[in-house]
Amino acid sequence: MKLKRLAISEEGFVFDPETGNSYTVNETGLLILKKLREGLSPEEIAGIMSEEYGISREEALRDIQDFLEAMARFGLWEEKYG
Amino acid sequence: MVKVAVSGINAVDNPGPGLGIIKGLREGETPVSVVGLAYDAMEPGIYLTDLIERAYLLPYPSEGEAPFLNRLLYIKEKEGLEVIIPALDAELPLFIDLEERLSSYGLKTFLPTQKQFKLRAKDHLPEVAEAIGIKTPRTLVLTSYEELMKALSQLKFPIMVKGLFYKAFRAYTQAEAQQYFHAIVAEWGYPVIVQEVVKGEEMNVVGVGDGEGGHFGLVAIKKLWITSLGKIWTGVTVTHPELLTAAESFVKHFRWRGAFELETIVSGDDIYLIEINPRFPAWIYFAVGVGINLPARLLKAALGGEPERDWDYPAGKLYIRFTDDLVTDLEVFQHMVTRGER
Repeated sequence: MKLKRLAISEEGFVFDPETGNSYTVNETGLLILKKLREGLSPEEIAGIMSEEYGISREEALRDIQDFLEAMARFGLWEEKYG
Repeated sequence: MVKVAVSGINAVDNPGPGLGIIKGLREGETPVSVVGLAYDAMEPGIYLTDLIERAYLLPYPSEGEAPFLNRLLYIKEKEGLEVIIPALDAELPLFIDLEERLSSYGLKTFLPTQKQFKLRAKDHLPEVAEAIGIKTPRTLVLTSYEELMKALSQLKFPIMVKGLFYKAFRAYTQAEAQQYFHAIVAEWGYPVIVQEVVKGEEMNVVGVGDGEGGHFGLVAIKKLWITSLGKIWTGVTVTHPELLTAAESFVKHFRWRGAFELETIVSGDDIYLIEINPRFPAWIYFAVGVGINLPARLLKAALGGEPERDWDYPAGKLYIRFTDDLVTDLEVFQHMVTRGER
């Protein structure tokens, strides 16, 4: 799992030690990354986000899918859940 | 105190590796006194007296073996020189040829063999890449204008047009490719190498091979900012496992001896070998700064010792090059011009 190798700071700075690329994520992105690393599924994270931000699970899941697509473009997400 | 001479002290816009090597040596365990070897009285290192105790001009390698050897022996005599670390491509073949003779005079080096040195020729890259399990961009070796025209109809633009050892231009059109082809033929002759451009991350590995298939450490970096000459200005350490494995295979397969740099493009899961440099790169101080003092280890190997082999460096360390300036008396320049030394 590529996510495991990332160095993620509390400020939302993300460094990939293999490629040398760095990224910044906002608070929501940071939450998603952390939960993915803990092994939670996008559906489970959508549940947490829906409670945290007062949005529907469906909306949260769409946002997560968008985020994962962006990560896939950067080569940081390949398998369905990993 | 070991008296060691280092060349490549031309810290200019296309900097030689000398100053980085010297900074590493000064941070090593073995106390050193440094002699700078220069080819021009204006090479900045000559004026950096805190880093370089004494400086000497050398004749150009193209003037032949005898004047070069005589000059080195003169410097040895005057300074009590023990080790030489050459750092420039153009002088390396001569140093390699002279290695045994220098050694018989008590001047130690730690260099690749002539056969290893030849691997850096760009027409050898596909063979090297295959041997170490990586790729090369689609490459054609040309020895005539007709071959160029044929190659241009086969390759996808942009392409790189390169000399066998020096010069590389990026061409976006046929006209540009032809212009660069003629420029390289005029300056360096045949063959000319044309190569498809691979998109990806530019990553390089530096290391020192022990000559028996092992090494005294590797460090991989990614260039973040480059100058208009393609030289690194900022960079970051990376721990790309496949790239480091390829570098270890390189050392093992060719039983590489001495310093080397592999220049690659990493594109997804593919690694493309772009260049082999049989010496330290100009950014060698980066390796020193992350705890892998390759110049000091090479010095130890040259002296017949057994250098450290650990190379567990952190990813995410940043390298920043910067410009600096200095004011000094004309006297130093005067001495270099009139006496060839200071």
